[in-house]
Amino acid sequence: MTSRIILDVHALQNVPPSNLNRDDTGAPKSAVYGGVTRARVSSQAWKRATRRYFAALLDPAELGVRTKRVAELLAEHITALDESIDPAQALKIAAETLQTATGSKIEPPKRQAEAAKKNGTAEPAPASSYLMFLSARQIGGLAELAVEGAGDIKEFFKNKEHKARAKQIADTQHSVDIALFGRMVADSTDINVDAAAQVAHALSVHRAEVESDYFTAVDDRNTGAEPGAGMIGTVDFNSATLYRYAAVDVDLLERNLGKGLAADKSPATPVRRAVEAFVDGFVASLPTGKINTFGNHTLPDAVIIKLRAARPISFVSAFEKPVPADESGGHMEGACTRLADYIPELERAYGDESAATWVLRIGSATAKISGLGTEVPSLNKLVESVGAAVAERLEQRG
Amino acid sequence: MSVLALQLAGPLQAWGASARFARRTTENAPTKSGVIGLLAAAQGLERTADLTALTALRFGVRIDQPGTRIRDFQTAHHPDTGQAMPISDRYYLADAVFVAALEGTADLIAELDAALRCPHYLPFLGRRSCPPSRPLNLGVHSTGALEDVLAAEPWHAAEWHQRRHRQETTVALPVLTETRGGDTADSLTADTLRDQPLSFDPRHRRYALRTVQNRTVTVTNPHAQPATARRGVPPHDPTSLLEDV
Repeated sequence: MTSRIILDVHALQNVPPSNLNRDDTGAPKSAVYGGVTRARVSSQAWKRATRRYFAALLDPAELGVRTKRVAELLAEHITALDESIDPAQALKIAAETLQTATGSKIEPPKRQAEAAKKNGTAEPAPASSYLMFLSARQIGGLAELAVEGAGDIKEFFKNKEHKARAKQIADTQHSVDIALFGRMVADSTDINVDAAAQVAHALSVHRAEVESDYFTAVDDRNTGAEPGAGMIGTVDFNSATLYRYAAVDVDLLERNLGKGLAADKSPATPVRRAVEAFVDGFVASLPTGKINTFGNHTLPDAVIIKLRAARPISFVSAFEKPVPADESGGHMEGACTRLADYIPELERAYGDESAATWVLRIGSATAKISGLGTEVPSLNKLVESVGAAVAERLEQRG
Repeated sequence: MSVLALQLAGPLQAWGASARFARRTTENAPTKSGVIGLLAAAQGLERTADLTALTALRFGVRIDQPGTRIRDFQTAHHPDTGQAMPISDRYYLADAVFVAALEGTADLIAELDAALRCPHYLPFLGRRSCPPSRPLNLGVHSTGALEDVLAAEPWHAAEWHQRRHRQETTVALPVLTETRGGDTADSLTADTLRDQPLSFDPRHRRYALRTVQNRTVTVTNPHAQPATARRGVPPHDPTSLLEDV
């Protein structure tokens, strides 16, 4: 492959005392880097936050549903398409269609079925044995196919052509979130989707130890005779300036999403929308761990986005030596100074100076990075500029 | 024969050789299957592709900075019922740096070198959430065997790590190399590891045993401070003051 389209996203974000992502002891996650302990927020936690943020950005038709109760979901669509099919029948047809399309067993959960038999209650609805990720368009397509074969669904899928169509529906028209974060179907690996986005664990740019908040809670109905606290406990937390990094393989995203077919729109439209949603969602989202306890709703002070032609580059090495606090406290200015020195040097040394760069920053602490690329005044503008540049490159390539 | 040298550095890495189900462990050093996977992904091979050419490469790795092992506890909840899904433990190597080397025919090595410069799938260090923090490629050596390249490569540990060893002008680094076929003298003292990939096909991943020879090489420490520059402990004998009394 000669020309690639790769996006990397870098963000510096202050987070006050918080516990965004806990380990099994309830303490914020951490990692050792550069020989010192850092605050860490796992990639899984931030990917989930990004995915949830999509609900506010995108039309539900562009998103996927991750559920075990796929048969019920599909049955609802089937009865909506054809009212003459009764719900129990629709459920059976749905299960058979999904089984054909995904190769996974769709049957009533064993334990629940046994319990139902014992108690004489109705048999539970068929479900898949793990979370299945299907796009709204795939569900819609399968519902149409199921209605077509509703007469005798088993006989219908004995036809090779129908069977192939079911598989094809499950393997095309992926939703934005499936195309970005991937899908794994254990029983039918040929319909797996490789994730186009890569998200790293967020790390603090400085040494960050876990602190412990000792709290007492007063019982409102305490009597004078028993003046002690109603309960006591501790909550672990830390505060950090996080370096966050993610990369998007736009070529893979295009393979996952396909080209747009609408005559009045550019073929790059689906990819552009997905790239814009990812940039917006990744920058603005926040994992919600203990957010009501700490109220740590912050946004990044500095965002750098690079559009490259070969491979993505993480700048985490700039912070391997922990950033010391400024004289007046804080790590943001020190972190920006590091990036301003490190990025041009790295790109010169490895010959990757051609990348298009955008910078979104606020406050005087981030002034150092203003020269790194085209400054944009708002997240909206950033999303728009990056989306336009990606679309332009895709169109040029054809 | 040529040798391709790689540097594997990042805040987190994970190299599993026996990881299954909810417990995802990591070895202390990159596995052959992990590095071959990285190269195959750079070339754009699908998971079902034939790996014969790649697995025939002889593999070695040097532990430049061992790092520490951390455990990541991961939960998931069912989106409909809110019920907890099985908890998984993922182990990572934090703060580690390795030099890996692969020996093979000059053509294949040149191809891999080019693939790494413009990889088809995005590279990661054993797990998708672990992007490399430094460029992977250390270049192609057209002379010398795998062992020579691993011995000659300068120490790639982080500066803070090298400073921590400032009393030592040279340091000994563990090197794990694959034995040559029929190398019986070596095989007697070697370990085996099930990380020789046969197939990455997700329907049935298969790995064979591989014989690994454990050695050390000595490299110079660029941040060493000669002992003469440091002051010794001053003589201190409190009783000398009492001699005249």
